[in-house]
Amino acid sequence: MSILSLILFYLLYPSFFITVIFPGAIFALILLLLMIWFERKAAAFVQMRYGPLYASKRLGGALQLIADAIKYAISEIIIPNGVNPTLYALAPMLLITFAFIPIAVIPVSRIPISGSILSKYFLAFYDPDIKSGLYVGYFVPFNLLLALGLASSYSVFVLLTAWVTNNRFALIGAVREAFLSVSYDVLIVMSALALALEYHTLDIAKIVQSGIPGFIANPIAGVVFFIGVIMGTSRFPFEIVEADTEVVMGPYTEYTGLLYVITMGASYIGTYSFALLYSDLFLGGWAPFSGLPGAVWMTFKAVLVLAFSVFLRSVYGRYRIDQAIRGSWKYVLPAALASIILGLVVGWLWIR
Amino acid sequence: MSNQPKPSSNPVQNNPVPQAQRPTPQAVPKPPQQPTIIDKLFEELQKRIKVTTRKDAPNRGTIIVDRSQLVEVAKILKELGFDHVKTVTGMDYPDEEKLEVIYHVSSYEHPEYSKVIVALRTTVSYRDPVVPSLYSIWESVWTGERETYEMFGIRFEGHPDLRRLFLPDDFEGIYPLRKEYKLKKEGIFIDEQQAE
Amino acid sequence: MSSRPSEITISAEGMEVEIIPVEGEINVGPQHPGSGHMRIYVKVNGDIIEDVDMDVGYVHRAVEKLSEIRTYMQIIPLVERPAILDSINMNLGYIMAVEKIMGVEVPERAQYLRSFAAEVNRIASHLYGTGILAIFLGHSTGYMWGFGDREVWVEILQALTGARLTNSYIIPGGVRRDLTPTIKEMTLKAIAYQRKRMAEWRRIFLNNPNIRDRLENVGVMSKENAIKWGAAGPNLRGSGVNYDVRKAEPYAAYDKLDFEVQVYKEGDGYARTLVRFGEIEQSLNMLEQIIKEIPEGPILADRFFKMIPPARVKKWWDGMRRVVFPGYFASFRPPKGEAITRVEASRGELVYYVVSDGSATPYRLRMITPSYRSIYVFKQLCKGSRYPDLVSIYGSLDYFPPEADR
Repeated sequence: MSILSLILFYLLYPSFFITVIFPGAIFALILLLLMIWFERKAAAFVQMRYGPLYASKRLGGALQLIADAIKYAISEIIIPNGVNPTLYALAPMLLITFAFIPIAVIPVSRIPISGSILSKYFLAFYDPDIKSGLYVGYFVPFNLLLALGLASSYSVFVLLTAWVTNNRFALIGAVREAFLSVSYDVLIVMSALALALEYHTLDIAKIVQSGIPGFIANPIAGVVFFIGVIMGTSRFPFEIVEADTEVVMGPYTEYTGLLYVITMGASYIGTYSFALLYSDLFLGGWAPFSGLPGAVWMTFKAVLVLAFSVFLRSVYGRYRIDQAIRGSWKYVLPAALASIILGLVVGWLWIR
Repeated sequence: MSNQPKPSSNPVQNNPVPQAQRPTPQAVPKPPQQPTIIDKLFEELQKRIKVTTRKDAPNRGTIIVDRSQLVEVAKILKELGFDHVKTVTGMDYPDEEKLEVIYHVSSYEHPEYSKVIVALRTTVSYRDPVVPSLYSIWESVWTGERETYEMFGIRFEGHPDLRRLFLPDDFEGIYPLRKEYKLKKEGIFIDEQQAE
Repeated sequence: MSSRPSEITISAEGMEVEIIPVEGEINVGPQHPGSGHMRIYVKVNGDIIEDVDMDVGYVHRAVEKLSEIRTYMQIIPLVERPAILDSINMNLGYIMAVEKIMGVEVPERAQYLRSFAAEVNRIASHLYGTGILAIFLGHSTGYMWGFGDREVWVEILQALTGARLTNSYIIPGGVRRDLTPTIKEMTLKAIAYQRKRMAEWRRIFLNNPNIRDRLENVGVMSKENAIKWGAAGPNLRGSGVNYDVRKAEPYAAYDKLDFEVQVYKEGDGYARTLVRFGEIEQSLNMLEQIIKEIPEGPILADRFFKMIPPARVKKWWDGMRRVVFPGYFASFRPPKGEAITRVEASRGELVYYVVSDGSATPYRLRMITPSYRSIYVFKQLCKGSRYPDLVSIYGSLDYFPPEADR
C-alpha cells in the first residue's frame, strides 16, 4: 500500500470525510455563504431589487458574503460588563457544535460491496438491516433516535447563549425559545415516530432502502416535520426567537463580530442538518444511487429543502409567540397524531 | 376678561393685544344673512349659560370664559355634541403678564358641528397660572395639556399625568414658548480669509 | 423581575389560563429596531403589556418657537420638515391659514393642482406607512414593495415641483408650477401601474394569512374610544367614524371631486390597513378626475401675479409654466387676525392655528399633526395587548415620530 493510497484511505474514511469535508463542516460553511447569498438574491427577486451585486458583478455578487464574513471576522468583539467572558465566548461555539453534531449520525449514502471507491469500508460500516455498508460518520442501528436526540439539544444552548449575556431582550428571546422548543420537538419526534412505525425500524438507512420516499408513504408526517423544522430553527414565518423589531436579536442581542456570525450561522447549520435528515426520511435519500454519487444526490435534495425554507422569508412575516404555540398544539399536533395513525395503517397494509 | 386695560402701544413689541379685544379680522368674509350653524350654537349656549361669544366666520366661533366657568361650559359643549378637542394652545401676552389657553373643540359624529371649530378661551395671570383640566370631559386633551404645561408653565389641575412630554426631564423652570425665551438668529458665516 | 402568584386569568377561546405574573419593564428605544425615534417604556406582566410610557421628543424641531422669528415665507419649508414624506399636505394647511388671514382668493386651476399634489403625496405616504408596518411584522417583501412603489409617485412630485420630498410647492395665492402634458402622461401611466400592483399587494400582503393573524383583533379601538381619545384620519375611520375633512369642510378642489370615505367598523389594525389601501384606490380615481377636469387658467392669484415684473413673467410663466416669487413675498405683513384651518393629511387631520399681529412673523403658530394625536391613542391601545403587538399597533397607527414631535 503506497503512501498515496494510505492518505486516500484516511481521507475518505467516513468518520472523517462526512463530518469534516462533505457534507460536514467545510461543505456546510461554503453552503452557508451560498445559502445566505441565495436568500438575499431570492428575496431581492421577489422584492423588485438587485440584492448583493457589486462584489463581483459577474458572479451576481456572490463574493459579497465573503467580504461580509471577513468584515465580521476582523471586527471588534465587545464583551458586555458583568458577564463571564469564558462562558460568553463558549456559548456560541457550543451552539454551532450542537447544530453540527447530528450530521455525524445521519447516513449519507450506501456502500456497495464492490465497484465503488468506498467499498473498502464495507465491512467496517456494515449495516445488518439493509445488508450493505452504510456511509455514515458514526454507525448505530438506531440512528434516527440518536439524530433526533442530538438535534433537540440545540435549544438548550440557545438558552445558555441568552443566559450568559444578561440582557433583558436576550432573556425574552430565551423564554420564547423555551416555549417553542416544547412545541416543535413534539412535532418533530411524533412525525419521525410515524415514519418509524410505518417502516418498522429506527434505522434511517432501512427507510431509505425500502425504495419508497417517506413523503409519498406519509405526506402528513412530511408536512408536520417540515413545520417543526422551520419552527425549531427559527425560519420565517416562525422567526419568533430572533424577531428583530420586537426583541432586537433575541438571544444573540449582545454578540458582536465573529461570535455573532457564529450564532447566526448556527441556525442555518441547524436547518441544514435537519434538511439532511429530511432528505433521508422523506425524499428518498441517496436511492437509487450508492457510494459518493449517492451522497451528492442526497445532499442536493437537502440543499433544496434548505433553500425552500430560507425562501419563505420573502412570502411571510412572523407569527406571534402565542399564535405559534397555539397553532402547533391545536392544529399541527392533531395532524401529527393523524400521521401516526396513517403510518400504522400504511405500514401494516403496504410496507413490509 | 372683559375689562382688560388696553396695553400701551409699543411698535417694537408688535403690540400683542389679546384676541378677545381685537376687532374682527378683515380677512373674514361677510356673514350671510340666514343664521349659520355657529349662530344657532351660540343661541343654544346662551340659553344655558351666560358667556361672551364671538363669531369669526360662518364655521368658526369663539367662546371667552373665565377659568371658573371653564369646566361648566365644557360640559355643556360636550352635551351639545362636541366630542373631541383638536388642540390645546397656549398664548403668552408678556405686556399684560397674562397667559391664555385655547381649546379648539369640534365634533366627529354630529353632522352639523363637525363642520365648525369653536375656540374655548380662558386667561390666567403669570402669578397664578392654573387652569382646571378638561381631561375628565374630553380625554383627547391629554397630550395638548401636557405640552402646554411644559411649554408655558400653565398647570392643569386634575390632569392625571402632568409631566413634561417633549422636553428632557431636567428642563426646569424654563418655558420655551413664552416670549421671554428669546431665540438668537445666527448670521451667515463668511470665511474672511477666503474673502480676501 | 419579580414574580408573585396571582389570580389573574385570561380566556383564550374558551380556555381559562392561569397566569403567574412576571412583572418587569422593557425599555424599547430610542436605539431599537422597532421603536423609531422615541423611547417606549413598557411595563409588562409576562407577555401582556400593563402600561406604556411614551417618551417622545427625540426629534423635536421646535417648529412653533422657530416660527416666531421666521417670516411667513420662511415658515413654508419649516413646517414641511416634520413630515417630509407628507410635505404637500403639511404645506397646504399652513398656506390655507395664511391665505385666510390675508383674504386671498385662489384661482381654480391652482385649487385643482393643490388637490393633485396632495393626492399624489397621500399615495406615497400610505405606501410608506404600509412598508413600515410590513417590516414591523417581519414581512420584508411588503417593506420593499412599499418603498419601491412609492418611488413612482415621488418621481411625479419631482417632475411637478422640482423636489422629491421637500416640495414647498404651495405658496400664498396658488402654486409654483403648472401641470404639463408630460406630467399628465406620467401620472396616467403611474395610475395604471399602481392599479395592477394593488392586486399583487392584496395577494401577498392583505390576504396573507400570516399578516391577517397579526393584525386582526389586534389593537382594537371601539368607536367610542376613537372619539374619546381623539384619534385622527385612517385610524378614526378604521373604527367606524365617518369623518373626513375633505368632506366635512372641503378645501382645494375636493368639493368638485367624487370620492368615497373609507370606513370600516372593526377598529383593529387590519381595518386601519384596509382604510389606507382603500384610500390609495380613491386617490387614484381622484387623480384621474383631476387630469380630466382641470380647468385652464392662472395658477397664482391675480393680486400677486401682477406684482411679478413683465420680463420675468414672459421668461418663466409663458416659457416654462412656472411662476417666480414677486418681491412682495420676501417679507409681507398680513393684517392682524387669526385663522384655524384643517386639512386631511395622509395620516389624518392636520390643524394649523396662526395668529398674526401685523408684523412679518406670526405671533403664534400652532401645528397639530395627526401623529401628535396618535400619541395618546397609542398609549391607550397598548394597554392589555401582548408585547409582540406593540410593533403591530405602532405600524397600524402609522405613527411617525418626527411628525408627532414637530
